[in-house]
Amino acid sequence: MHASPLSWIAFACAVVAAVIMVYYLVRRPPLDAAGKSVMMLGVGVLPIMVAMIGNMEGLAATERQGFCGSCHTMDMWIEDANDVESESLAAIHSRTHKFGGSSCYYCHKDYGMFGYAMTKIGGMNHVYEFLSEWMWYDSDEVIEKIHIVRPFKNENCMQCHSTTGSIWNSAQDHIGLLDDLRTGETSCVSAGCHGYAHPFSKPDEETPSDTEAHTALQVPSPEGT
Amino acid sequence: MSLKSKFMHFLDTASRSKLMVWACWLGLLGLALMSWSLFDQGWIPIMMAMSVGQGIGTLSFALFLVIVIIDLRQAEFRPSVPNPPPKPEDD
Repeated sequence: MHASPLSWIAFACAVVAAVIMVYYLVRRPPLDAAGKSVMMLGVGVLPIMVAMIGNMEGLAATERQGFCGSCHTMDMWIEDANDVESESLAAIHSRTHKFGGSSCYYCHKDYGMFGYAMTKIGGMNHVYEFLSEWMWYDSDEVIEKIHIVRPFKNENCMQCHSTTGSIWNSAQDHIGLLDDLRTGETSCVSAGCHGYAHPFSKPDEETPSDTEAHTALQVPSPEGT
Repeated sequence: MSLKSKFMHFLDTASRSKLMVWACWLGLLGLALMSWSLFDQGWIPIMMAMSVGQGIGTLSFALFLVIVIIDLRQAEFRPSVPNPPPKPEDD
């Protein structure tokens, strides 16, 4: 259970509003000026505060791994991301303190001008897909059928790995493919480069070995990426 | 009967206390849904709070505003500043 101090403030407002409404239902006080002022508080002001704080907390919660993992279709992806033994890109990135419990969101969000809204609209599409189809599949069926809706953009990797750092540019493969990587012609997460972010979900396709992936991602400091 | 005249008829005949009772029941339901999402942040509570919960809460507040409108329609407005005394007539 996650509850921030703001959530407790909202809950306190909800309790006070509920007490006012229950009092009206039980005692039926007259709706004169004083009565309406109190009811304005109970039916209007306090519930609006609860809704506003609920929106803030709710939108923040949608960025957390727990929210993405609250559908059973994502169980294996979350397990892999949190597996301390896993060398997948998803697991390695989930272990960094900068992403932590929000690694799904940081890697998959839309970084465009309207990125926040577009990411939320994409999330609504996930809800529709889940309710209309995927909720009926068990995990074994999911892993055979599920796929990312569109190819993963290099732009998302480049939010941190800017392609201008000295360490990044010391890799010969990066220099040779610089333009292709920046335009997205060659994917960072392709089999020939860093491998799929969730390799367990693509067992039949070529992925670099754990050692190769680990070696490729040994970056001494984030400043050089 | 047009929609506007139906609404006017509703405002003339509706019981304020019954509207307030509905507003309270709906408000309690909306608050329950919104409070649920504060402590359980799975997709179902959050989606329910931000759609159904807020919709019900808005309906509750709208009913309260209808009560205010009914009162305003029935109120007798009196000027807050008393009328100035009549000027003495010229002799």
